[in-house]
Amino acid sequence: MANKKKFKVTFNTLLFLIWILIFVAIAVISPAFLSPGYLVNVMLRNIVEIGMVALPMTLIIITGGIDLSVGNIMILSATLGGLAAASYGSVAGIIVTLVTGLVCGLLNGLIIVKAKISPMVTTLATMYLYLGISRGISKGNSIYTYEFTTLMGTTSLFGVPLQIWIYIILAVIFTILLSKTTLGRKLYSIGLNENATQYAGIDIGKIKIIMYVICGLVCALASYIWLGRFTSIKFDAGTNFNMKVITIIVLGGTSINGGIGSMVGTIIGTLIIATLNSGLTVMNIPIDVQTIVHGSVLIVALIGYAVINNRAKKKKLIKIEAAPKQAASM
Amino acid sequence: MVQEKKRTASFLTTEFYLAIFLLAVLVFLGIFAKGFYTINNVMSILNTYSYTLIAAIGMNMIIITSNIDVSTGALVSVVCLASAAIGKLGLPFAILLPAAMVMGMILSTINGLFITKTKIPAIVATLATTQLFQGVLPLTTEGSIYDLPASFTWLAFEAKIFGMVPASVLICLIVTVIALFFMKYSRFSKKLYAIGNNQHSARLAGINVEKTIVITYAIAGALFGITAIIIATAGQRVTTTMGSGLEMTLIASVILGGTSTAGGSGKVLGTVIGALILSIVSPAINYLGISPNWSDAVKGAIIIISVVVGASQQFKKKKRVIQIPEGGTL
Repeated sequence: MANKKKFKVTFNTLLFLIWILIFVAIAVISPAFLSPGYLVNVMLRNIVEIGMVALPMTLIIITGGIDLSVGNIMILSATLGGLAAASYGSVAGIIVTLVTGLVCGLLNGLIIVKAKISPMVTTLATMYLYLGISRGISKGNSIYTYEFTTLMGTTSLFGVPLQIWIYIILAVIFTILLSKTTLGRKLYSIGLNENATQYAGIDIGKIKIIMYVICGLVCALASYIWLGRFTSIKFDAGTNFNMKVITIIVLGGTSINGGIGSMVGTIIGTLIIATLNSGLTVMNIPIDVQTIVHGSVLIVALIGYAVINNRAKKKKLIKIEAAPKQAASM
Repeated sequence: MVQEKKRTASFLTTEFYLAIFLLAVLVFLGIFAKGFYTINNVMSILNTYSYTLIAAIGMNMIIITSNIDVSTGALVSVVCLASAAIGKLGLPFAILLPAAMVMGMILSTINGLFITKTKIPAIVATLATTQLFQGVLPLTTEGSIYDLPASFTWLAFEAKIFGMVPASVLICLIVTVIALFFMKYSRFSKKLYAIGNNQHSARLAGINVEKTIVITYAIAGALFGITAIIIATAGQRVTTTMGSGLEMTLIASVILGGTSTAGGSGKVLGTVIGALILSIVSPAINYLGISPNWSDAVKGAIIIISVVVGASQQFKKKKRVIQIPEGGTL
């Protein structure tokens, strides 16, 4: 166990070093990148929504689940909230957005847990459903920002945009939740072996539903910022959002099979993607090449991770073989 | 296994319920949607249905092995553009079709090799290759290839059976019939189901799992190639986003057809019906006088309901089987 912990730390350090490397390389090639205004207002601000949703999504992926509907939960809650705000004022908008996020997450969780349908199928279907509802209700028109979302999307606090503060607070909360609480341990346990966790007396259904609800709520929170930042949103803006989030999480070293991963990895993954996005833009590299770079970075990370993982598995295998023998002799 | 299948092989299968549902919808449309059964509309549905089904059959094979391919949309776009580039030379369809199949095969084989050699989960691996395909695409062209010769659009405009049925239907029919027999009687298809059910026991039973999976991806790639050429030849202009979003439609068709994403189950017949239901939704809504904005919501609802109903039936079956050991342990 101690061995495993050591290995985990080295992986995150490695990831951190890669980020520093990318950061320095871009800074050397184009010094304009290093201006604090650019770093804060462009590099970090553009990734906040994706980074925020990646936090609860990491929890879900660690339990062995997945949520493909995140982008469309955001769209649906922004749509309904925006419409409510347009006719009943800002407060109605705030409440409706949060409730929508909660209900969407709850629906995902209930179908996955109660009907025992695989998370991928469920969230794929609800992805269509949420997209369709927001498209149907908005009649295909744009949704416009209102007072509260403008506040969330454009205010600065001590020279740093408000949404970055929110992201930092959320990141700290989720990091503590995953690494320092019993709930975090339970999540890993569910991801590693669901049946064993259930027999250990943990109500896995309840935990899973809570995770999807949290994910829905964070999506709603992110949708305020999103709507505020863009001032108007159309129903199809959430397409590919899920894939961007999953890219970050996988880059951060979380195994898509569940049971392995860390919040710090996800946060560093967010930083790497943010640096690449804005850095390549500064260097005047066309968006198509940026996609290739993203893909290549992801593939390199995946292969590197697979190599490390296979080695770790070999070590684990020997341990598992040794354990039952002891139990038998006892 | 064989005995169990024989016992449950009554006609009350998922496919049967789906067919009943489809029939009910068709009758309903006949009564309430005026103009739905005009030749123009039916032919246009058939064309959409053909290319969806051809690719969905490939996706079905992949999902049966408990893998998945989310890069299909990008892959189809690449093949569309590449075949347009060749088609500009004035080559006949007889050369374009095999060329597209080979291109699809090569790209999909890359996916297959990537998944089997690095042991990365299929959804993550194909997510990475999606970004590569998407990135490479626009580099080769300036957004689109246009002014394509008549030889390129021959399939869509001139090749009609009896002067009205699009020739793509004939291609689809051939592919479907071959697939129906292939997936039922060939030894290769048995390997697919074995791998999907339990990869390790399949390996112990002497199946070369990696080779089989790569071949599956190659076959599916060829089918994606056919789909690509049908989509590409529909007009004189081929853009870089011709296939985007297609993968979700395909996965939805396969799931609706009763194939489990856990692998090991599912029939071609189910996919045939599933793809037809999804192809009908958009035009049906249009002819029923409902705003087309609601079509995605209807699609999502259909998938959720069918999956939940299917799962509840499996529940009943499973409960019957499991009850005996559970009584023993508790």
